[in-house]
Amino acid sequence: MTQIESPKVVKKKLFSPIWLLPVVALILGAWLGVKSIKESGIEIMIHFPSAAGIDIGKTLVKYQGLTVGKVSDIGIDDDLKGVNVKVIMDYRADPFLNQNTLFWLVKPKASITGVEGLDTLFSGNYIAIQPGEGRSTTEFEAQREAPAILPGSEGIMVELKAPKLGSIDVGSPVFFRQVPVGSVVSYRLDGKKQIIISAFVQEQYTHLVHKDSRFWNVSGLKIDASLSGVKINTESIASILAGGISFDSGSETELAKNGDSYPLFHDEQSAIGGINVTLTAANADDISEGTALEYRGIKIGQVDSKQLTDDGVQFTAQVNHKYKDLITPDSRFWLSGAELSLKAMKNIGRLVTGSVISVLPGSQIATESMQFEIAPQAPDLLTADKLALTVEANTHTGVSNGAQVRYKQLPIGQIINVNLSEDFAKVEYQIEILPEFTRLVTQGSFFVPESALAINASLDGVSVATRDLTTMLEGAISLVPAKSKTLVTANDTLTLYESIEAAKSMFAKQQMRTMTLTSIDGADLAEGSPIYYKKMQIGAVSKVNWQAETDKFTVDISIDKKFTPLIKPNTVFWRNNAVAINASLAGVDIDVAPLKGAINGSITLGHLNTELANDTQANLRLYDSQALALMQAKVIDLILPVSAKITANAAIRYQGHQIGEISQVKLDPTLTTLNAKAYLYGDYAERFSRDDSEFFIVEAQISLAGIQAPDTLLTGPYIGVIPGNNTFTTNQFTALNHARLDANVPADAVRFQLVDNQLGSIKVGTPLFFRGINIGQIDGYQLADSGIDITLYAHVETQYRHLVNQSSQFWDASGIKLDVGLFSGAQLEAQSLETILAGGIAIATRDVTNDSNRLSANDRIKLQHKMLPEWAEWQPVQAR
Amino acid sequence: MTTKHTTEDIISNLPPVLSHTDAAPVHIQGNQMGLCLCPVCKKLNRTTNSNCRRCYSKLATRNYASVQQSWALLVTATILLVLANVYPITLLTNRGVVTNDTIFSGISHLVQTGMFPIAIIVFTASILVPWLKIFGLATYLAAISFNLPISKRKLMVGFHVIEWIGRWSMLDLFVISLTVALVNMGQLLDAKPAPAATAFALVILLTQLAAKVLDTRLLWDRLEKTHDTN
Repeated sequence: MTQIESPKVVKKKLFSPIWLLPVVALILGAWLGVKSIKESGIEIMIHFPSAAGIDIGKTLVKYQGLTVGKVSDIGIDDDLKGVNVKVIMDYRADPFLNQNTLFWLVKPKASITGVEGLDTLFSGNYIAIQPGEGRSTTEFEAQREAPAILPGSEGIMVELKAPKLGSIDVGSPVFFRQVPVGSVVSYRLDGKKQIIISAFVQEQYTHLVHKDSRFWNVSGLKIDASLSGVKINTESIASILAGGISFDSGSETELAKNGDSYPLFHDEQSAIGGINVTLTAANADDISEGTALEYRGIKIGQVDSKQLTDDGVQFTAQVNHKYKDLITPDSRFWLSGAELSLKAMKNIGRLVTGSVISVLPGSQIATESMQFEIAPQAPDLLTADKLALTVEANTHTGVSNGAQVRYKQLPIGQIINVNLSEDFAKVEYQIEILPEFTRLVTQGSFFVPESALAINASLDGVSVATRDLTTMLEGAISLVPAKSKTLVTANDTLTLYESIEAAKSMFAKQQMRTMTLTSIDGADLAEGSPIYYKKMQIGAVSKVNWQAETDKFTVDISIDKKFTPLIKPNTVFWRNNAVAINASLAGVDIDVAPLKGAINGSITLGHLNTELANDTQANLRLYDSQALALMQAKVIDLILPVSAKITANAAIRYQGHQIGEISQVKLDPTLTTLNAKAYLYGDYAERFSRDDSEFFIVEAQISLAGIQAPDTLLTGPYIGVIPGNNTFTTNQFTALNHARLDANVPADAVRFQLVDNQLGSIKVGTPLFFRGINIGQIDGYQLADSGIDITLYAHVETQYRHLVNQSSQFWDASGIKLDVGLFSGAQLEAQSLETILAGGIAIATRDVTNDSNRLSANDRIKLQHKMLPEWAEWQPVQAR
Repeated sequence: MTTKHTTEDIISNLPPVLSHTDAAPVHIQGNQMGLCLCPVCKKLNRTTNSNCRRCYSKLATRNYASVQQSWALLVTATILLVLANVYPITLLTNRGVVTNDTIFSGISHLVQTGMFPIAIIVFTASILVPWLKIFGLATYLAAISFNLPISKRKLMVGFHVIEWIGRWSMLDLFVISLTVALVNMGQLLDAKPAPAATAFALVILLTQLAAKVLDTRLLWDRLEKTHDTN
């Protein structure tokens, strides 16, 4: 207190610096306020058809994924046609809110026109905005769907037009050389036939997209399964799942612009393109869409489509443009498939992959539109130098196209084509001989087929010859050159024989003397049946023909030239029987023909002993047997009664002497007669074929008087014949059941008739006895038409003719005459034992025979039943 | 009453030099006796000393500037509280959708979802308490500055209530900071404090400061001066 301190004068501060704090806060608040007012956004109104999927406060407005606004309110529009959506837009969006600005609702949508907004599945629907030009506005009409092109600030958006979507989806990657450079943003249906796919390419890759870039679909897997393995090609795993699009850079320098439109090809091949060629073929066998066009085994294109035309099939093929130079107007196309033969197996893979069309490039300048024929076979570039020939054969020998033509088993050419000749008479083979072998083929050369397996089984043994496998499968023909030096010229025609033997025989035939024989039957002959002369083959039958008009056969024979001297006027032919057994009472004669002839039938040539003046026509008959031939037998037709027991080989006899034989007997279809063919031996034919000759059947007749024609008991009935006297000859005769009564009566015998009222024991053949000597016989008997008596026809042998005359008495001496009287005793009277058994007629003549009292055939003498005693007294001395 | 006791105790403990003031009425103030407390170490100093004998802090019998400071802080807090209520306090990202919530919208969400108790707590802590505090402080400051006729008793009670309740205002910030720390799942679900949180925090801080800065002796001065009928 003692010290008074000077008072401190403190200047009172009017405002504390603390007041800066509220000022700062105010400024801050004001700034925030201003800022929030500034950033509070712009309220716009978007008219939507429906508020579905739009939520107040939730649904955002996004631009390229950036939220630029938010739905603040939804109201129904005045005419109840939609909703007005109020959106608070970010203040920064103000420049975009122009008349052409587009808004649309993005929601997950999968419909026929497109798939979009997959992202909204997680984030919810949003309203997308695409800024546009025009004056500023705040009222908008929402788009129904997303516009095709989304604004890409980075990269470009291209439109790809495709006929179908495939597996492309929103988000499918876009590849460039398998590098993903973009993606599919959206797709939509454009009209009815086209789909527009919007693809986005990132900015750093936009330089790859040119105006002439090509886009193609790489969706899914490309599985290339071939024999070389299975190759699975895909751009990426993503493209398997989501599809994908690839493109090439093109060559133009002009870069693509946003919104450029490109076609989307279905694959790289068609995208890269090439030139189209039109191919035609007769049919589409083995050619389908996708069939490759190959040149030297490299695929240069493929068949795109095929369609039917008026005269065949037309293919449209696309050739890869880097190979387009190969296709020129003179290019050649042919179909080549797998060649599967044991000779060679080529292009086995094509069994699986199908045939390909091979291409041979031409040298001309390509033109705009080219049309080609697809040849069935590869063109042969050596054709010019090859020798083309035609080979004719009677039948197809089984060689196929491409079969080899050989010489000494070396291939010298091949068969190009097998076809029938124009008149269908022959088979024609077009063959080609390699240039170096053309000198082998000379005039007169011929071909024979190679048989894979030649089995030659003959009586000499069996030989089996085999060729190589190729021959077995394809066949081959061999050249047999001729000795001629003259070469054949191109397109000459040569012959293909069945075998060398056939060829030789064919040549031999040409050197042979041919003749035609006629035969009444086929004679068991066949083509090739041998002809023998003295059991040596001198020729063969070449043909056996049936003549319809005459029902006969003609046999064409050919005789080796060296044996032609054997053909003489007296040459005759007969067929050999395998075994000729000539068994008769005289003995058995067995003749065995040569074995070949025995099997095939054969003909023997022989000569008549005498130079007969017969016409050659008769000589050219084929006789049934040597005998007939040598007899120069003549053929006649005999009509026999149906009851006749005549068989083939029955003899024809005259007076017991054989003058011919029956060849065959056939029952007439009318069943009333038998038709027989018979031979008359040449020596007698003339007499016995006169038209009044009589033929009859001779059968054995057994009676008490004896056996007539006893040989027929062994040989069977035969035909008897009586020669005629007419000058006319004929071939047709009718045989009678019996011979004429006087058939066996010698012409100069004495004939007469006996009359009796009873036949008694008299038979045909009942002998006439003169003094116990048989001098004649009864030839027949006949009941008079009136029925009162019986006429007996009798004759007396020539040498006894003078013993009978009109004064002769004839009585029946048949049986035993036994007179028994009481006083005279028994008197047995018999002419002979024969008369006891067979009966007989005794004769006694009173007068000497002279010209006036000779008996004639018409004389009728009563046959007495009893001999008068005085007749025994008659003893005229007769003179011959 | 306690203050009285306290005052009497102080006086009774005064050094003997002051003993002549024993008879003085209880409302006799230290500055009247030439004494003042060191604001820092609470040493009783003579008002004549410009500095504390112990800690050499500056001594002043009354800090009249504190009213001004308190006012300034209070005004700042008020401004910030407005901002804190207007601007979103949290930024919630739910499956990519960002939602801003103001304090009030948060409470209304709670009400909408039926969580009334929490809504009441949050409402109390986030809206009622700050406003009450600011209002209360403003009342005291006005009472100091403009000699408003408010009963001494009410002022006393109010002052204690404000002091006690002020600390609870930080509840909101705790909630926010906890949410931010726990809910952090990127785009799916994420919570972040928004600008209002800062403002709100500043409000709490500034009101606390405003209460702290105010030299309450001025208030007591006024209480002593006026004839309190209560």
